[in-house]
Amino acid sequence: MAKVYEGLREFLQTLEEEGQLVRVKDEVMPEPDIGAAGRAAANMKGNAPAILFEKIKGYKGKVVTNVHGSWANHALMMGMQKDATTKEQFFELNRRWDKYPVEPEVVAREDAPCKENVVDENINLFEILPLYRINDQDGGFFISKASVVSGEPDDPENLDKMNVGTYRIQVKDVDRIGIQALAMHDIAVQLEQAERKNEKLRVAIALGNDPIITFMASTPIAHDQSEYKFAGALRDGVPVKLVKADKAEHLYVPASAEVILEGYIEPRVRECEGPFGEFPGSYSGARNQCVVKIDHITHRTDPIFENLYLGIPWTEIDYLMALNTSVPLYKQIKEGFPELVALNAMYMHGHVAIISTKCRYGGYGKGIAFRLLSTPHGMPYTKVVIVVDEYVDPFNLEQVMWAIASRVKPDKDVAIIPNCPGMPLDPSSNPAGMHTKMIIDATTPVAPEPNPRSVELLEPPVGTEKWEEILRDLMK
Amino acid sequence: MTCPRCNSEDTRVMVKSPVGDEWEVYVCNTCYYSWRSTETPDIHDVFKLKPEDIPNLQVIPPVPPLDK
Repeated sequence: MAKVYEGLREFLQTLEEEGQLVRVKDEVMPEPDIGAAGRAAANMKGNAPAILFEKIKGYKGKVVTNVHGSWANHALMMGMQKDATTKEQFFELNRRWDKYPVEPEVVAREDAPCKENVVDENINLFEILPLYRINDQDGGFFISKASVVSGEPDDPENLDKMNVGTYRIQVKDVDRIGIQALAMHDIAVQLEQAERKNEKLRVAIALGNDPIITFMASTPIAHDQSEYKFAGALRDGVPVKLVKADKAEHLYVPASAEVILEGYIEPRVRECEGPFGEFPGSYSGARNQCVVKIDHITHRTDPIFENLYLGIPWTEIDYLMALNTSVPLYKQIKEGFPELVALNAMYMHGHVAIISTKCRYGGYGKGIAFRLLSTPHGMPYTKVVIVVDEYVDPFNLEQVMWAIASRVKPDKDVAIIPNCPGMPLDPSSNPAGMHTKMIIDATTPVAPEPNPRSVELLEPPVGTEKWEEILRDLMK
Repeated sequence: MTCPRCNSEDTRVMVKSPVGDEWEVYVCNTCYYSWRSTETPDIHDVFKLKPEDIPNLQVIPPVPPLDK
């Protein structure tokens, strides 16, 4: 059984024991220090640590950033060795994915650390959260790593339709925040049901969670699949512990969360929000977006505010959205096409994806690409699909480039499909939300497609593995 | 106090630092830009707004019709 964490604090302890967390004990300024340190951590590549700021000028609390921001931290999140490769983590996630659904355990209110303190008068987010500007041109102070819990107004008791998602949040007042609910996101479906009746949509926003819950909150799954039940699966079958929200009986929140902000989306209200430095590595401009009124807060004693930095990739968000984009897409395609070997959709939340597959018949590579482009996430997000043979590792970009270099005949293997759905935050999407798709089929032709110049692949000489060991020893 | 982004005069103190008298945060009631007294906002021209343009910004998500 893999190691699991009951909350952020337990995970931070493991990160520190593994040398993957550093403490900044000296006082820092909210701006620009915290954002700058997040960028600096990303620049370290390799085993970049989480950074815990213990003293921030003018604030009571602590901030932690870059918690998911390296493959080492990502592996530790899953209870694996910190040197596990990306591909090993991909296949381990796939193995655990099949344990879905794992029913959550609902604990009593008195057993939930997130209820240790209650604030429902004179709410002031700044008293609880050391809020700060992440990037210089952001329109305000943003909460970038929240797990927002909302129910289905037309089916409120359905736990599978309860949504846990990560949406950017701009602090607009001490008890009022802006939230981005893009039309393609589950929360927008729920909001539409509420707004058609001019009703408030209650939300509970969980901050500082078990890293697997945060991971699932940014994972694209089906509308009627439960993030909590998947989190239990990814915890290798260990259920997540939940507790009822205080002001919305139908909502459940992670019992170990550092902070729970409860409130409601004001129906049919849109206000100026943004800009915000987004995951494509550029700012998304000001738009009129939804507003949440916060009317109740619970929090652990001395809460830690977990937030993430976003910049030109790769930064923490790219690690967070790498395999949790790749695995569900892999699973959805694998269901109908067992020849699929692996799928790498780690680039800008799946805008570029690489599929490794065996081809059963001619045209198979393109067919698999169309399947990816018709998944719920792939339809708006993925715009460039590269398909490679089953022996090419899609996580090894040198091999992928070799496949393109040696297999692609552009006039037949590159297809351009205009006027498809796009992701509005992608700056090349024009108008925002529309895009062109491109498929690069770098697989070897199979019948009935002719392959007039078939090749024999080079095999490693006998003794290669033995020599790998010898060379490793000589390098010590 | 003038909003550094939209030049509106309708701004206010949102909050003072919870510990000590270290800073204040200001917010514009027109465009919701907020900034800390310890910052020197330098809004790029591309992000400047005119108050009259705000109602015409893209609406996300669109507001649906009311059920009859």
